[in-house]
Amino acid sequence: MESSNQLIAGIGLAGTARKSRWPARLDFIQSGTGLVLALFMWGHMFFVSTILISNDAMWTITKFFEGYFFFGKSYPIMVSFVVATVITLLVVHAFLAVRKFPINYRQFTTFHGHMKMMRHEDTTLWFWQALTGFALFFVAAPHVYIMLTHPELIGPFESGDRVWTGHYWPLYILLLLAVELHGGIGLYRLAVKWDWFAGPDPAATRKRLKTLKWALTVFFLALGFATLAAYVKIGIAHAPDYGKPYVPAALQAAPQGVNK
Amino acid sequence: MSDANSKIIPIAKAGNGGDGGSAAHRQLKISVLRYNPQEPSQPPRMQTYPLEEADGMTLFIALNEIREKQDPSLQFDFVCRAGICGSCAMVINGRPTLACRTLTKSLGAEFTLAPLPFFELIGDLSVNTGKWMRGMSERLGGWLHMKEPNPDLRRAEQKMDPDLADKIYELDRCVECGCCVAACGTARMRKDFVGAVGLNRVARFRLDPRDARTDDDYYEVIGDDDGVFGCMSLLACHDVCPKDLPLATQIAFVRRKMVSLGWS
Amino acid sequence: MKIIYTDVLVIGGGLAGLRVAIGAKRRGHDVVILSLVPPKRSHSAAAQGGMQASLANVIKGQGDTEDIHFEDTVRGSDWGADQKVVRMFVNTAPKAVRELAAWGLPWSRVRRGDRTVIINGQKVTITERDEAHGLVAQRDFGGTKKWRTCYVSDGTGHAMLQTVSDQAIGAQIPVHERTEAIALIHDAGRCYGAIVRNLITGELVAYVAKATCVASGGAGRIYRVTTNAVICEGIGSALALETGIARLGNMEAIQFHPTGIFPAGILVTEGCRGDGGLLKDVDGHRFMPDYEPEKKELASRDVVSRRMEEHIAKGKGAKSRFGDHIWLDITLLGEQHIRHNLREVFEICHYFMGVDPTKDWIPVRPAQHYTMGGVRTNHTGESPDLKGLFAAGEAACWDMHGFNRLGGNSVAETVVAGMIVGEFIADYCDRLDNEVDIPTSLVHDFLKREQGKLDTLVDGRGTEDASAIKAEMQDLMTAKVGIFRRGEDLQAAVDELQRLLVRSRNIGLREKARGANPELVTAYRVQKMLKVALCVAYGALVRTESRGAHFRQDFPRRNDAEWLKRTLASWKGEETLPSLAWEALDVGTMELPPGWRGYGAKDYVDHPDTPGRAADVDAVKAKMADASRFDVQEALMPYDELLPEPLRGRNERIDEPMDKTCESGK
Ligand SMILES: Cc1cc2nc3c(=O)[nH]c(=O)nc-3n(C[C@H](O)[C@H](O)[C@H](O)COP(=O)(O)OP(=O)(O)OC[C@H]3O[C@@H](n4cnc5c(N)ncnc54)[C@H](O)[C@@H]3O)c2cc1C
Ligand code: HEM
Ligand code: HEM
Ligand code: SF4
Ligand code: F3S
Ligand code: FES
Repeated sequence: MESSNQLIAGIGLAGTARKSRWPARLDFIQSGTGLVLALFMWGHMFFVSTILISNDAMWTITKFFEGYFFFGKSYPIMVSFVVATVITLLVVHAFLAVRKFPINYRQFTTFHGHMKMMRHEDTTLWFWQALTGFALFFVAAPHVYIMLTHPELIGPFESGDRVWTGHYWPLYILLLLAVELHGGIGLYRLAVKWDWFAGPDPAATRKRLKTLKWALTVFFLALGFATLAAYVKIGIAHAPDYGKPYVPAALQAAPQGVNK
Repeated sequence: MSDANSKIIPIAKAGNGGDGGSAAHRQLKISVLRYNPQEPSQPPRMQTYPLEEADGMTLFIALNEIREKQDPSLQFDFVCRAGICGSCAMVINGRPTLACRTLTKSLGAEFTLAPLPFFELIGDLSVNTGKWMRGMSERLGGWLHMKEPNPDLRRAEQKMDPDLADKIYELDRCVECGCCVAACGTARMRKDFVGAVGLNRVARFRLDPRDARTDDDYYEVIGDDDGVFGCMSLLACHDVCPKDLPLATQIAFVRRKMVSLGWS
Repeated sequence: MKIIYTDVLVIGGGLAGLRVAIGAKRRGHDVVILSLVPPKRSHSAAAQGGMQASLANVIKGQGDTEDIHFEDTVRGSDWGADQKVVRMFVNTAPKAVRELAAWGLPWSRVRRGDRTVIINGQKVTITERDEAHGLVAQRDFGGTKKWRTCYVSDGTGHAMLQTVSDQAIGAQIPVHERTEAIALIHDAGRCYGAIVRNLITGELVAYVAKATCVASGGAGRIYRVTTNAVICEGIGSALALETGIARLGNMEAIQFHPTGIFPAGILVTEGCRGDGGLLKDVDGHRFMPDYEPEKKELASRDVVSRRMEEHIAKGKGAKSRFGDHIWLDITLLGEQHIRHNLREVFEICHYFMGVDPTKDWIPVRPAQHYTMGGVRTNHTGESPDLKGLFAAGEAACWDMHGFNRLGGNSVAETVVAGMIVGEFIADYCDRLDNEVDIPTSLVHDFLKREQGKLDTLVDGRGTEDASAIKAEMQDLMTAKVGIFRRGEDLQAAVDELQRLLVRSRNIGLREKARGANPELVTAYRVQKMLKVALCVAYGALVRTESRGAHFRQDFPRRNDAEWLKRTLASWKGEETLPSLAWEALDVGTMELPPGWRGYGAKDYVDHPDTPGRAADVDAVKAKMADASRFDVQEALMPYDELLPEPLRGRNERIDEPMDKTCESGK
């Protein structure tokens, strides 16, 4: 079947053959990966922002993901698995989404000129989505790579050190802006693309969705910057002890007592 | 209700514009993007025409007056001049819309007119939407494919649910003005994209129980990136459609149907 | 020079042209359609109200038959119609509705049970039958006894044109858009196609065909205030006229629509009144019942238009800076109804006047609306004068409208004529002796002649301004050849139009381009339009009676004794007036002998044959009191054999079921 398809395409009869079902699947997968990533990012933001509650809270969450509370011991490799999954989603998503990018300068200028002329919000939003998506290629890569390779270096001090002494904060500012804009617009687009919240009055629905979208973006950016500030603060304070992992107060006391 | 005749109702001015009433009228400055592909030596340029506004002046009246009094070479298309035929779509201050039903008073004193992008330019504000629409229709099979090609015309017509008939008409209201395609960033980037008007056509026939085609057949014509999967949900189509067609919901609907075939 | 050969050349991509083309194509002939604009933009798209066909599905249409439709149409025409053609028409109209339904037209459908309608200003509850549920619905329209107008919300013409145009695409019929026929090619009394100008490039191409069909629509734009689209300039009729052989029939019969938006002339549909809208004067008084107690707002168009003008003349019009007008009040129909069923009306009021018709009254005044006359044809659609030339739709005088057409009968005519004429054209092309046999040199002569005319316009030393001449003509027609006509006005109009025609031969252009050049188009068209206008004005001047839409204040009576005849206009060379001739209607064969229309003035002069024929008809009816209506009709005026074979046969209705035994119809 596949090879006959190739043959058909090879001799220029592709147009006359039954159409492939792949475009349908790819469209679905593009949306699906986008959705999962966007939901993951919500969760992710809540996890990392536990630092705003307390160092212990952040530590607890980290250890939770490393299976500490199930097995009594940390397995950072578990985080690596999650990271690997997310990276796979990212790659698939990006691979599918770039099909929509302008493929050459001419297409880019056409779209850009069109957007300028129309001053139409949803069109402009797509441009920003594509632009932030493009940026994500570069700014997400180092972050997920370090998470993949050093899952054990997650924790209030470890993260703070990376953010400040490790000079990740500029990257994170960009990453945060890009991912929140991109994900927010993406979710809105998913809703209209599939007509998820179809109501009796589509115009009103869309208006509400748009408001919700902006509210979410603002909320997550605020949360994100507060979180980033918290890490920076910890990082600055912890700079002299760079590299020392965080151990919660409760654990510090008890083991000492036991060892004695 | 009888006080209605004491109400001051703004009234459209007929014919070829002109004096209007006693009130001072604005001096309009209408900039038109001019280019005639038949005379490529003259590059595209903006030309500004001064014009005194009249009561109830539409762009139909304004442009005709310019052509009669100032510039006989100016090209544009009007047919019904009543907003029902779809001939006069152009880009007014950056937005594609029907010119004949645009009142100058809804615009600033200075505004710009340009031809619809995307379509083949005939000259100045005139574009060949008709040619593209016919091509689109041929490509999609944009006509009802009868289940029973030779019905007995002496017999009563097949019954149809009144609500369904209304729904079909709702989608049939498209006037093929081309605004949706000209407003679509996807179409601008990718020449082969069927556009909202095409997807709406498919939605319309899909809805019609008299049509013999199945989703598999529709998939053959729109199941790719030049079809429904090419649409990036920019929704400009929906926002500019002068007939207020429910394009956003229709495209979403078609997309869901076509995607569901992907896994069957 | 380029020549394109085809079997059938159809000039016009409106409903009529498209349907003719589909008919001929189905019979295996090659067809090319020419159109000034993409076909879906033809003026047929503007028809909002609906299409008449006696389906009798709705309760208010119960009992309707071809017979009643026939009588309404003939009365509407003020007995100017060809009654056999009317019979052919009314019998085919239901088939046309059903064909369109099969082609996907989303006709509005009957919903069972109660609904509230407005009749005569009163809310009335009517109950639709269960068995009618889902069948094509009908609404009320002016000049009809029963609710007979099938409709698609208020976009009937648009939806019809969409459907028929789509089927033409499906049938792979090429439409050469943005082309304009500017002359017919003819030789020795036969038409061979047309010389056609490409409106984009300016190139002239000869289209040579066995049969040529003019389906170019109306000529409303010879008037200034008109509901017609800007492309309705009567060019197709002018082409036939300019052959000097084919003749135009009844050009003086021009219809004015009561409710053109004032002063732009954009139409608000008759459906507004059909659905219960009222006409009111400066005092908010509903004045139509004073004049027409029986049909009130729903008398036929010519009557309502005249009554409105009459009322305005009495000083009862509402005043505005552009002149006086009447109010159309549809507020009583309710917001839901207006926004749903009369949406186009709502949009037009909203966009063009900033008026909300659910709350405000609409300023209206009669505007030119329809050209009853056109290329005279016999019942097959072929010109009796020029072989191979056919005509259909508004451009034709097939003559089912006589001196006034009923609302909804026009789009019906386009498709019905399309079905019928399409078959006859196919028959014509089937006949071997109708092969094209002219030498190409003749075609070249025509091409050269037309090119020469255009060259003169572009390169000549003319000084006249084309658009100024056009404007003068339009003003003249609106002022002097309007609803109320008087001898001296008409004479003045004819004189002035002749002067304009002479001046138009001396037009000079400011814009010299040979390709797309709007000024050049205006120039050659206005020369043709003036001839059409002259046929109208001159025909009106000579016809010293009042009939249907043609109303002479100085001759207010219908005069069957002298004028029960059709005006035929032809044009010879460089003349400045048409030559008129008349074709008498045969009272002796009429199924419905002339009488009172049931509305308007009761005052008319009988034809000498009328009493005799009326007695005959009564006798036949009395003798056949027990016979079926079909048999009576057949006895009075047989017409069945005039129809193309596939279109014959009865029409099924709820109350006239078609049982298996009479499958074959009659
Ligand atoms: C506002 C309005 C509302 C109406 N409402 C109704 C209604 O409710 N019910 C009803 O029954 N009737 C109605 N009518 C009348 C009816 O719409 C028309 O009479 C009918 O549609 C005419 O159809 P047609 O096919 O003859 O011509 P059109 O639809 O006018 O088509 C003419 C075609 O000819 C082409 N053409 C013209 N000249 C040339 C040329 N020289 N060369 C090449 N092509 C040419 C044009 O491009 C066009 O395609 C209405 C009319 C108007 C103006
Ligand atoms: C390398 C990284 C990424 C790139 C290049 C990228 C690119 C894109 C592009 C171009 C689109 C628009 C596709 C279209 O209009 O059809 C898109 C859609 C989307 N993206 Fe991304 N993206 C990336 C990462 C992400 C991430 C991290 C998220 C999660 C927050 C995300 C969520 C979404 C969503 C929800 C959509 C909408 C999906 C759809 O319309 O079907 N993307 N992406
Ligand atoms: C795959 C699993 C991921 C894990 C385990 C993870 C973990 C973390 C952690 C621990 C931090 C805190 C700072 C640090 O330690 O460096 C962080 C910050 C951040 N991560 Fe991730 N991340 C993951 C994926 C992603 C992805 C895919 C993106 C976006 C494309 C992303 C965007 C961000 C941003 C923007 C910050 C900074 C947030 C802030 O401080 O406000 N992360 N992440
Ligand atoms: S869908 Fe709307 S915008 Fe698009 S062609 Fe039709 S009427 Fe015009
Ligand atoms: S603007 Fe274009 S991208 Fe889709 S939603 Fe409309 S067709
Ligand atoms: S001219 Fe017909 S829509 Fe504007």
